[in-house]
Amino acid sequence: MIFEKRTERILVPMFFMVALFVPLFLESNSFFVGKVTTIIILSIFVMSLDFLVGRVGLITLGHALFYGLGGYLFVILSPEYEAVNFWVYTFYICSISALIALVTGAVVLRTTGIYFIMITLAISQMMFYYFFDSLEYGGDDGMFIFMKPETSIFGLSFLNLDDPQHFYYLALFSLFNTLVFFKVVLRSRFGRIVEATKQNPDRTEALGYNIFAFRLTCYVIGSTLGAYAGFLFALQYGFVNPSFLAWEMSGTALVMSILGGLGTIYGAILGTFTYEGLQYFFEHLTEDWLLFMGSAIILMVIVLRKGIAGYLEKLLEK
Amino acid sequence: MTTELFFVQLINGLQYGLLLFLIASGLTLVFGVMGILNLAHGSMYMVGAYLVWYFATVTGSFTVSAVLSAIIALSLGILIERVLIQRLYNRNHLDQVLLTIGMIFVFNSLQSILFGNDPYGVAVPGALDGGIPFTDNSSYPIYRIFAALVCVAIAGVLYYVVSRTRLGMLIRAGESNREMVEALGVNIKSLYTIVFAIGVMLAAVSGIIAAPMRSIVPGMGESVLITCFVVVVIGGMGSIKGAFVGALLVGLISTFAAVLIPSMSNMIIYIFMILVLLVKPQGLFAK
Repeated sequence: MIFEKRTERILVPMFFMVALFVPLFLESNSFFVGKVTTIIILSIFVMSLDFLVGRVGLITLGHALFYGLGGYLFVILSPEYEAVNFWVYTFYICSISALIALVTGAVVLRTTGIYFIMITLAISQMMFYYFFDSLEYGGDDGMFIFMKPETSIFGLSFLNLDDPQHFYYLALFSLFNTLVFFKVVLRSRFGRIVEATKQNPDRTEALGYNIFAFRLTCYVIGSTLGAYAGFLFALQYGFVNPSFLAWEMSGTALVMSILGGLGTIYGAILGTFTYEGLQYFFEHLTEDWLLFMGSAIILMVIVLRKGIAGYLEKLLEK
Repeated sequence: MTTELFFVQLINGLQYGLLLFLIASGLTLVFGVMGILNLAHGSMYMVGAYLVWYFATVTGSFTVSAVLSAIIALSLGILIERVLIQRLYNRNHLDQVLLTIGMIFVFNSLQSILFGNDPYGVAVPGALDGGIPFTDNSSYPIYRIFAALVCVAIAGVLYYVVSRTRLGMLIRAGESNREMVEALGVNIKSLYTIVFAIGVMLAAVSGIIAAPMRSIVPGMGESVLITCFVVVVIGGMGSIKGAFVGALLVGLISTFAAVLIPSMSNMIIYIFMILVLLVKPQGLFAK
């Protein structure tokens, strides 16, 4: 069983069971289906960040770089008025993002601790300003995606990305796969060594493992999945702009993953849904929702020391 | 670039660098002494600017407004430390990041509620209005030179306090060994409150000084915060000397880049920071 904790075994199936039926309940209200799709996509992004921060111990404040890259790479690579194949382009975008993560990772992983936080922030800010000031990529307005990709495999097509419900299931399927993927990775031999590099880097190194290589591999994995989430988000809304890679995006994702319970992987879903839910609630309550959002975050740091997942685990584990 | 333009940019760069130092010094002081990563530091800069604007429109006097705003900022610092920051001393950096991001939200929202979202400007105080003739047909604003001098003066006072006074001795001791200082009977709690409040006041004073030179807009805190992080990281986290050198470098580089390579002017300081960290991963003046 890849879900070791009782809390996971209860929460994860419950979440996906409910999520499977969401579009059916909200059929008449496509706005909500779209909204939940966005939150699911964001959960993938937050989950990939949670893997890096909570499991590998790489506290990055520049994860939004890859979220933005996912969208921008699609716009840059695909022809403007021709539908391309979704699977082929997913492969392209993930490979190129992985390559970029490999190069930037080799640079940023030379530093540790607070310096790692800052250098990741610097690299993402650099790219933010690159796209913000660029003429060919639409500057601060960003760019539109006029044609959504088609999804046929060997001539068979099950998904129509223009249909919000189909898109919803694609996002949900991706989230499920990401969760299972991370769980499998973490349970493997590779994952246990990663755990060791976080717990005691010196001893792990003394045992003959190349810590740098393990961290770099994880950085590439997390970043690539972050880019995939950004790609999905860009497809859902049909545009990209520099705000995708702004540091606020990284900061918010970090807040979501800490809120959910750092290092738990499934907590990313809890954190993202709670944050977005609170924001939606406060926005409808008052124009000054930010005041309440900020206060809620402060309160949660003080009260929930291990995030929502930590609190639930305290209730459910024996 | 003509010689004249070069010197104007040089002075501009130094002046911007000194202002950056003033903001960054509070950030690095609080981090160095207390180990607190305060992402809301930029919000304190914003608080200073908005307060001085508000009091200047009410009282009409820049000096009175500046003093009032600085006192309010100091009290605000004490309040925040007592109510929130104190709970963070035994927590990790991530909890600090989370809580201070929450604070950014609260301050941005309060700014919008209290003062609205229009950009504002503060008039240059009468006595400092005008310019110093530079060449036959150009002059340099007196206020900018005054601002630079104030920054130098505060840097001097800060240096004196940290290296020569009893408070400074405690601050330095607290940096190296918290338990030992505590064991010697020093009230570390009040020491931390003082340091944090000074940090907040330094940021707010920078906002006050910057107010007549820059427009006061929502979100001004975040952009200055990120630049300050670049400064502090280049210099070495926690080092006041490093912040000083880092701030001057960043000030000069970004000012000259704006003239020489406009297309890269926003990116250049980040590129510089990455280069510095590649050579010295702990910053230039790491301890």
